[in-house]
Amino acid sequence: MLRKYWFEILAAVAIVVFVGVFLATAVLNPDAEFGGSDGEGSGVISEITGIPEEDFEPLVPQWEPPSGEIESGLFALLAAIGGIVVGYGFGQWRGQRKDAPAPVSETARDINV
Amino acid sequence: MHIMEGFLPATWAVVWWLVALPCLAWGIIQLKRLIETDREALPLLGVTGGFIFILSALKLPSVTGSCSHPTGTGLSTVCFGPWITSVVCAVVLLFQSLFLAHGGLSTMGANTVSMGVVGPLVGYGIYRALKNTKVNMFITVFLVCAFADLFTYVTTSLQLALAYPAEVGGVFSSFTVFLGIFAVTQIPLAIIEGVILALVFKYIVQLKPEILVRLGVFPEARVMAAHRGFANAA
Repeated sequence: MLRKYWFEILAAVAIVVFVGVFLATAVLNPDAEFGGSDGEGSGVISEITGIPEEDFEPLVPQWEPPSGEIESGLFALLAAIGGIVVGYGFGQWRGQRKDAPAPVSETARDINV
Repeated sequence: MHIMEGFLPATWAVVWWLVALPCLAWGIIQLKRLIETDREALPLLGVTGGFIFILSALKLPSVTGSCSHPTGTGLSTVCFGPWITSVVCAVVLLFQSLFLAHGGLSTMGANTVSMGVVGPLVGYGIYRALKNTKVNMFITVFLVCAFADLFTYVTTSLQLALAYPAEVGGVFSSFTVFLGIFAVTQIPLAIIEGVILALVFKYIVQLKPEILVRLGVFPEARVMAAHRGFANAA
């Protein structure tokens, strides 16, 4: 188990540490808003130039999602498109392997199942 | 790393578009050639490009108390090089500027240069330096992904510093301030992105080592040795 999944275990540990760091940040720094760094960058631009953020006019007219719900939905759509394409690629390879004569180790695993 | 619409003066917006366009043109030529000559590479293109879509749609929290996007460009850079990666990034950035108000059409040139050109080029440099050394393939993929991510944000900081030099200290002083926001936030994200994409690379080695060998991503002996290693552990 450890030998087969050492990479997955490593990734799981990394994710747990990442979440732990997030929770620690949230607890130790109650002022943290976890807003976008893009927006913070714009805030600094406003500080450097002395021009209020709302006075920066789009050079090209831009549509904005009318609410956070719609925005998160569209982000989910972007991720879903990616997920479908990734799944298609891996699925195709998996299918090709099934058709090919299975290596001994694969056969052994199928029998064990 | 998105520079928001309107936050880049028109001159700089044009400059970065002029840098981005030849890179995209070359990427489109390479992509067209790949699609025409090697149908077997398409699933790999889907897997690596798909992860750019997925990872850049996520906004992850960081130690600085703000959130930022991973880029997901490293895996595509390792498999197909920086230019094809730029094209995928441009598609993502176009979607985000049209529908999400993340970045905009005028700043898309600058954002394409940071996410799709400089980040992947830094990653590609690391890949080329380590490809034929004894460094483990998965560690190489990890490093490429982490540094492609991090340098995307270093580039954004530089782009903003050039456009908005501080009154005292000029470009360098601004650069430090922007790095403080973007690059520091990005360090933990770059690490987690590197780990996840290295894991994805493991699955590619497990399922389709032939394609990595054919594209010359890593030497055949090493890819097949890793493939057998995973099969034997099963």
